[in-house]
Amino acid sequence: MPRPEQKMVTFTLDGREVSAIENSMLVDGAKCVDVEIPVFCYDAKLGQPVGACRMCLVEVEGINKLQTACSTPIREGMVVNTESDRVKESQRAVVEFLLINHPLDCPVCDKGGECPLQDITFGWGGGTSRFIEPKRHFQKPLALSPLIAIDRERCILCYRCVRFSQEVSEDYQLILSERGAHSFVSTFDGHPYVAPFSANIVELCPVGALTSQAYRFRARPWDVEGSGSICTLCPAQCNVTLTVRDERVLRVLGRDHDEVDDGWLCDKGRFAYQAMHVGERITEPLLRDGGELRPVSWERALQSAISGLTKAAGRTGAVVGGETTNEEAFLLQRLMREGLDSPDLDSRPGGALALDLHRALADPALSATVVDIEFAHAVLVLDCEPVDDAPILDLRIRKGVRRKGVKLAVASSRPSSLDANATLSLRFAPGAGEALVAALDAALSGTGDVDGLAASAGADVDQVRELAALLSEAGEDVVVLWGERLAHGPRGDHAVRGLLNVASRLKLASADGAGLLEIPSGANGRGLRESGLLSNAGPGLGEPGREGRDTPAIGAALAAGDLTAVYLMHCDPVRDFQDRGLWNRALSKATTVVAHAGYLTEGLIEHATVIFPAEAYAEKEGTFTHPDGRIQRLRPAISHARGVRPEWQVLATICKAAGLEMTFHTVPMVFRALVDAVPFYADLTLDEIGGRGMRWQQTAAAANLPTASDRAPYQLTAPPAALTPNGSLRLGTYRSIWAGSEVAVSPALKFLIPHQQVELSPDDAKRIGVGHGDRVEVTYDGAAVNAQVTLRAAVPTGTVFLAEATDSQPANLLTNGEPRLVEVRPA
Amino acid sequence: MELLYKNIDEPGLNTIAVYESHGGYQSLRKALAMDRADLIQELESSELRGRGGAGFSMGKKASFLPKDKMDKYLVCNADESEPGTFKDRELMQKNPHQLIEGLIIGAHAASANCAFIYIRGEYDYVADILDAAVAEARAAGYLGDNILGTDQSLSLVVHRGAGAYICGEETALLDSLEGKRGNPRLKPPFPANQGLYQGPTLINNVETLSNLSHIVRMGAKAWSELGVKNSSGTKVVSISGNVQRPGNYEIELGIKSRDLIYGLAGGPPDGREVKFWFPGGSSAPILTAEHLDLPYDFDSMAGAGSMLGSGAIIVIDDSVPVVDVALKLATFYRNESCGKCTPCREGTNWTVHMLERIDSGEATPMDLDIMASVQEHITDHCLCVLGDSMAMPISSMIKYFRPEFESHIEAARHRNDLGAPPSPHPVEAVGSAAAGPYTSVA
Repeated sequence: MPRPEQKMVTFTLDGREVSAIENSMLVDGAKCVDVEIPVFCYDAKLGQPVGACRMCLVEVEGINKLQTACSTPIREGMVVNTESDRVKESQRAVVEFLLINHPLDCPVCDKGGECPLQDITFGWGGGTSRFIEPKRHFQKPLALSPLIAIDRERCILCYRCVRFSQEVSEDYQLILSERGAHSFVSTFDGHPYVAPFSANIVELCPVGALTSQAYRFRARPWDVEGSGSICTLCPAQCNVTLTVRDERVLRVLGRDHDEVDDGWLCDKGRFAYQAMHVGERITEPLLRDGGELRPVSWERALQSAISGLTKAAGRTGAVVGGETTNEEAFLLQRLMREGLDSPDLDSRPGGALALDLHRALADPALSATVVDIEFAHAVLVLDCEPVDDAPILDLRIRKGVRRKGVKLAVASSRPSSLDANATLSLRFAPGAGEALVAALDAALSGTGDVDGLAASAGADVDQVRELAALLSEAGEDVVVLWGERLAHGPRGDHAVRGLLNVASRLKLASADGAGLLEIPSGANGRGLRESGLLSNAGPGLGEPGREGRDTPAIGAALAAGDLTAVYLMHCDPVRDFQDRGLWNRALSKATTVVAHAGYLTEGLIEHATVIFPAEAYAEKEGTFTHPDGRIQRLRPAISHARGVRPEWQVLATICKAAGLEMTFHTVPMVFRALVDAVPFYADLTLDEIGGRGMRWQQTAAAANLPTASDRAPYQLTAPPAALTPNGSLRLGTYRSIWAGSEVAVSPALKFLIPHQQVELSPDDAKRIGVGHGDRVEVTYDGAAVNAQVTLRAAVPTGTVFLAEATDSQPANLLTNGEPRLVEVRPA
Repeated sequence: MELLYKNIDEPGLNTIAVYESHGGYQSLRKALAMDRADLIQELESSELRGRGGAGFSMGKKASFLPKDKMDKYLVCNADESEPGTFKDRELMQKNPHQLIEGLIIGAHAASANCAFIYIRGEYDYVADILDAAVAEARAAGYLGDNILGTDQSLSLVVHRGAGAYICGEETALLDSLEGKRGNPRLKPPFPANQGLYQGPTLINNVETLSNLSHIVRMGAKAWSELGVKNSSGTKVVSISGNVQRPGNYEIELGIKSRDLIYGLAGGPPDGREVKFWFPGGSSAPILTAEHLDLPYDFDSMAGAGSMLGSGAIIVIDDSVPVVDVALKLATFYRNESCGKCTPCREGTNWTVHMLERIDSGEATPMDLDIMASVQEHITDHCLCVLGDSMAMPISSMIKYFRPEFESHIEAARHRNDLGAPPSPHPVEAVGSAAAGPYTSVA
């Protein structure tokens, strides 16, 4: 539903006239004038108040009983008293009640010093207790999960964690067992609470009942400092506060930003900080010497890289991963284009998209924000899985559906975790996104062969029509959340034209709260493109001068010997990209492979010539661009690990050696140069971006975006038909939220490392003659993946799913970016 | 005058044939022929007050439901779990059609199309009787689509609870009915606006709904002339405890309490005196023998600091120590507290602990002050009324019987050989004895 208009009203609080938003809760309204009403169970993030803790009782004139300020909406002319004797006595009473069973172990409690119960006891409590009976006892602490310890004696039963599990993350695992004074928080049958967002409950807990196993006893609040930055592990770019003690990050907390993360973090973002301080991290330059990577001095590493790259000038490619900042991207594209005379650079693992389409997609009128998801009439999740691709958006979608009545439609190949919340879930053949959007376009426009196109997509034609009806009838604010995957492959242009057609049929450009929101495959995917890291576009989506090769073409050219050197910035193509075989050949053929990496991954161990240590995100300075166009600052929280140098300086040094004039002394100077080169960033300054970020679409300079010459609706060509699974199966792939080096090396997260599994429908499994847990071999043209079967009733018959970037047997043994049929047989 | 209890012991009254032979379901025909607004007006002018405990005007509550066309619900609260209350059981067991007829009339007034009877699990055999009666009523066309050819349709489901006192609280009942754990909800929103499945919902007690057919039959005016001002109609009173003839009695409100306890129920056993009595279930503040001459109606009971509640009188005679009653009562409410809100969860538990010490002689008179203050801190501070249900009677017991509490402690202390009572001010006591050569800093 569209955002409600906010009306200001005046009410009286402790004798003062206060102006606040009508129908907002008294607790929040009081904050406007710095009156704090103590609360335990209330947190606006958790949705509807429950009024359980009774801490916030206040006097409202005209109502006999004291009212809970957390659940009393502000109305014009209301007279509220928070300081009367009656109110104070009730506050003292509730604190006394809460402390009855709360142990006084503050000196050894992690929460001590940053504990709402301590603060409220000091601020509003009576100071003494009259309770002399025995307190209740539980075994403590218990592992609620490998990540979270629970101390039930400290729990004040405020319900926050249970409500989070039930109403925010909707994993429905936490409950209160037993009743009355015997109540305690647990999972239904005592199994561990493992879920993608589980550790938010640690931050929600107003006492020390839920603590992080990784942070327990590592520091006291007065030992640490908080440092604001953003998390760069996925495109969601959640705002975080890093807890730092002695130049080590000990904890990651949310830094609530309701336009980005809504105050939540995923467990990966919350615990992968450990990866900064592990032995596996590369903290010095490595050079291949006698076939082995050996630590060398910075001078020698730089010298080798420079000589290798300059020798191959004109025949060098660059492939860039998502953790690269805008500034690094800007320097790297200058190095390639100007210093090494090589136009072959790309940040899109799936290949180039026509420049005109990039410009059309970037149109501010067509871009949706994260908040739009929450207030839309309908949201279409298209060819992406938010919980894996940008986890925090999964929570935003759930919030929209649960609290704002958003109609959700999911169109994906693999069953989605949002299916249960969706009005409509539609499945199509892996890689047939183009045919699906074409079918949707035809259904929306009422012209074209919907039946034929739906068949090409391997989708049910009735569902396609229902989807078209749902989107066109829901209301004007429709948000399409789509994954970069849709635009991958040689026919990516056609898929995007279809998508833009759908957007134009739904008139997404003319409604404020409507639009497209792409989840790129890399964390800073959008920023990299806008900074000029595309084979066919310079900074600011400008003409590139000379068009170069895209990612798959760079791989092919390396393998063919047309390119001889490659710069791998924060990526390992062997692990991350399609067609492992090709990239192994490509990298082994290349004479120089320069990489920036934090951890040694298989492709780098095998092929890298020089590896520069990558900065951890807590060490890094720069800017990132959020998928919705918000430029956010990455601020250093700790100094660099010994031996690690700022990567922008490494790039600048190589640029200089390649003959470029480099006048930058600081990252902000590089940012200035970037802003000068990207016309639609022109109005941005670091000051204005500040700690909350700024969407470039909201600045006047947004008008400088180069306009697309051709506009939707486009004439679409017939998409190729989805392969027919004739005894063999369609292969689909996905990348788990837990795939990646940061998870693999973080001690706390190791238990979540994804292993390969073959997801089969029960029908196919029966036909093949295998059951859940059996080992099977999935083969294509001689290559094979060997793993255990996982039966999933929701997997469409005729399709098999494999995980990408697993520790062994990854899916890219079998893939090359185009739809494929594979054989599955018992191993 | 007997309305609800007329012919109550006639064999077979629970069947539709016998019920109809006494004019059953005629009121329904009359009500269905009435305009909804007129029916609500009729109910309002009857001044029928809810018989479940809160005593809120039934007609007014029905009028709160939105008038728009949408799914609306009527829920009959048959989770009769207040200690001392057993009137609904007999009404449902012996005359289920009276309830069903009233329920359909109520549904017509509220224009509800979907009704539930939420009955406590322990009344399983009564639920079977209700199920049979509902089937009969459905077969006779009183339930289902277009009842008796009108535009009123109603489905009725008898739902068995799993046995929790808290599920008699209307919002907890709704949660339980929805299949969730029965915890009270925050009000507002009230069930009339957002109740069962977030739809408008009218919730009434069994006895309240059983009255509707009589109001429609007699007309609101004639019915409201029964009883006294602000307490019109008849009331089924459950009398239990130390009386010679415990049971359910239908009375006109406003008769003298003494006539109830001594006249109808025969008073305490010979040689015993009424020590105190609960006028409206175990959650009502107690009254003493002094109050026996008060008229038994809503206003008089409220005026004496108690309440009529569900109309369940529990009589305690002078053979029973007040501490026993207090401890049993507090333990009941401690066990039944859902645990959602702080004062009730912690306060009931704390009170039980203190009463246990009082009972064993380990307490001091200061504990009575603490206990009284804890009751004050519970009262009116909770999410629902369960906490108050313990706090109010316990407060009143301390108020009327403090000397007995004190002598109980003293006697138990001697009996259990616990030595001298602990000092109410232990720090001062140590300070003064050990003062010796030192002088106080102050």
